[in-house]
Amino acid sequence: MNAPSPHAQNAQNPSVSAVSTTSTHPCYRAHLTPTDYVVQTWALFGSAYQELNARKLFWVALALNALIIGAVAAIGIDDSGISILGYELGIPGVTAKLFPDGQLYKQIFSTLGVGIWLAWLSTILALLSTASMFPDLATGGVDTMLSKPVGRGRLFVTKFATGLLFTALQVAVFAVLAFLVLGIRGGVWEVGMFVVIPLMVVFFSYLFAVQAVVGMITRSPIASVIVTLLFWIVIFLVHSGEQFTLLGMTASRLEIEALERKIETLQTEDAKSGVILAVEAEKPQQANWKLAHDLFYAAKTIIPKSTETIGLTSRALSLAANMPTNDEVEGEGEDASARQQRGFFRSRSVSDRKLRQAIQTEMDSRSVWWVVGTSFAFESVLLSFGIWYFKRRDF
Amino acid sequence: MVADAARSHNPPHAIDLVDVTKMYAGKVHALQGVSMQVRRGEIFGLLGPNGAGKSTLVKIMATIVRPTTASGTILGAPIGHHPTLARVGYLPEHHRFPQYLTGRQCVEFFGAMCLMRRHARRARAAEMLDVVGMGAWGDRRVSTYSKGMQQRTGLAAALVNDPELVILDEPTDGVDPVGRHEIRDVLLAMRDQGRTVFLNSHLLGEVELVCDRVAIMLKGKVERQGSLAELTHESRRWKIVFDGAAPTWISEFGEPSRTTADRSCVEFKSDDIARVQSLIDRLRAEHHAIVGVTETRESLEDLFMRLVRDVDGRSSAVGASNVNSAMRATTGATR
Repeated sequence: MNAPSPHAQNAQNPSVSAVSTTSTHPCYRAHLTPTDYVVQTWALFGSAYQELNARKLFWVALALNALIIGAVAAIGIDDSGISILGYELGIPGVTAKLFPDGQLYKQIFSTLGVGIWLAWLSTILALLSTASMFPDLATGGVDTMLSKPVGRGRLFVTKFATGLLFTALQVAVFAVLAFLVLGIRGGVWEVGMFVVIPLMVVFFSYLFAVQAVVGMITRSPIASVIVTLLFWIVIFLVHSGEQFTLLGMTASRLEIEALERKIETLQTEDAKSGVILAVEAEKPQQANWKLAHDLFYAAKTIIPKSTETIGLTSRALSLAANMPTNDEVEGEGEDASARQQRGFFRSRSVSDRKLRQAIQTEMDSRSVWWVVGTSFAFESVLLSFGIWYFKRRDF
Repeated sequence: MVADAARSHNPPHAIDLVDVTKMYAGKVHALQGVSMQVRRGEIFGLLGPNGAGKSTLVKIMATIVRPTTASGTILGAPIGHHPTLARVGYLPEHHRFPQYLTGRQCVEFFGAMCLMRRHARRARAAEMLDVVGMGAWGDRRVSTYSKGMQQRTGLAAALVNDPELVILDEPTDGVDPVGRHEIRDVLLAMRDQGRTVFLNSHLLGEVELVCDRVAIMLKGKVERQGSLAELTHESRRWKIVFDGAAPTWISEFGEPSRTTADRSCVEFKSDDIARVQSLIDRLRAEHHAIVGVTETRESLEDLFMRLVRDVDGRSSAVGASNVNSAMRATTGATR
């Protein structure tokens, strides 16, 4: 074996070789150029793509994507009724007249495709597939990487971005196939379907940030998945608590307002005093509900709002693709947890419809920036900690 | 000013470490003020038993571990200077390349990390794989490689950026004897090309064969540093065989012994060649024919083992004295 001789002319004269150092070495840069960043980042993305390619779960998730879309495409609907793979199901009333303009497909994609498959099952598969990315970075292969002129911060961020690539590819495949099924089977070419890609990537990034930092610290894929799933449950519990207390607070406020209006209509002082007593009795409860809600709301403001982000996806799909939301279809107009709790407040003098409208107004008043902005703030703080930790860590 | 600038670009030492310390959590003092100079264009060997701090030192040079305190330079730039890493090649111990990549993709990937452009790194990767004898296997996945093949690929990856300084941590680990010989040839060729090679190895024989200078680290400190001749200088011994019985004055040099019925021999330690000459002159003056003069030196292994025993002895003594002190204190307190 003979090593090549880029320094061959200096072979017998090391001091001459030493001249070809800082200023002349082909790889040396005092400051990286934009092209250098592109070269390194592209190589990292290329490697990440090959890593995903090598993972069976990546292909399993893609196959499931295709299977789900294929199952939806197998459903047919026309004036005579609904069918699966050409077999009439014979359900009376379910015809193209009931679901015009591809509404059936839109509804299925919205509820099952986004609400269940992408928001839950696909996300869990993505978390499992990417679980070893950061523990791997913190263990075996990191030595050689860190000895190259690439900053640890940039390495961490690029690795994180390559993790998001997993979800982006999966959702992109879903969106493209759903777009084609809507166009071919439903006769509607809805470009709005593609809005699901950035929104689902944003949603996944909340959870992946937790998984990345835990994976970096513990160096254990299993620990990072478990902690992330627990964190997801905490998010869900805080969301449910906030919705429940919002319902209680709103119901109590409407109750007081209804009673106060009733006082104005009453003629006798005896009758009035009875209602006034009821108002006075309700006010402490309302204060308690408000305090509880404020606490939950404060907690929710800090943590990522995964449910609301998924809600944005559904909302965007409905607005962009003219799909009915779940609520519109069911004629409820209220949050799922509110529906669950409706019976709890039924004895009150406020109608369910009015309560639902008040809740909906409150939910609509929460801007996209509150939902995504505060979630990104949490994610940024978490990732900053992860980068700080990675920069300080010895390997 | 120009001279200063020239010196900073072309310093005499590829590695110049001054007072490098590393304290890990739990007060583990891995490095206790290591100073070390590696000249340009030489192969420098770092030796030491397990736990001596060799890997920590190597990782500090490769910016993988942050020193607690350190000053000095690597290729003229301060330790930890990121752009300079583009001029350094590094093969870590127990490295693990992405198993889903082929050997060629691995080498090209690390070329890209060193800012090499596509055509340059492709050509260079092919060249380096040939150099390490992996040209025919370059398009197979790393997951199918044996340990030795992974080491060779790692060596190719360390050389892909045409480094001026190559830091190799146990490069022949898991490599068969033929492969070791070939890797030694690569190291020597690199030196001939003017590159500096920093070799961390447990294999004393390997280090002795290729290294110009070595440092021996024990318990986080450099115990000895220099060329093999310098390090074994003190252990220079002479054996002189001559005809006839040994004269009485010869005991000034060493204890004589009989080799055969009509021949004697004297062995002594001396670094002074004039002393040897005077002995020979006196013997010849007394008509003793000189049959043979042999110079012997301590081998690197002997030196290494002696140093390890010396330092272990010192540590044991310190440990024992601590225990004794503690026991005295305990006894005093009980009284």
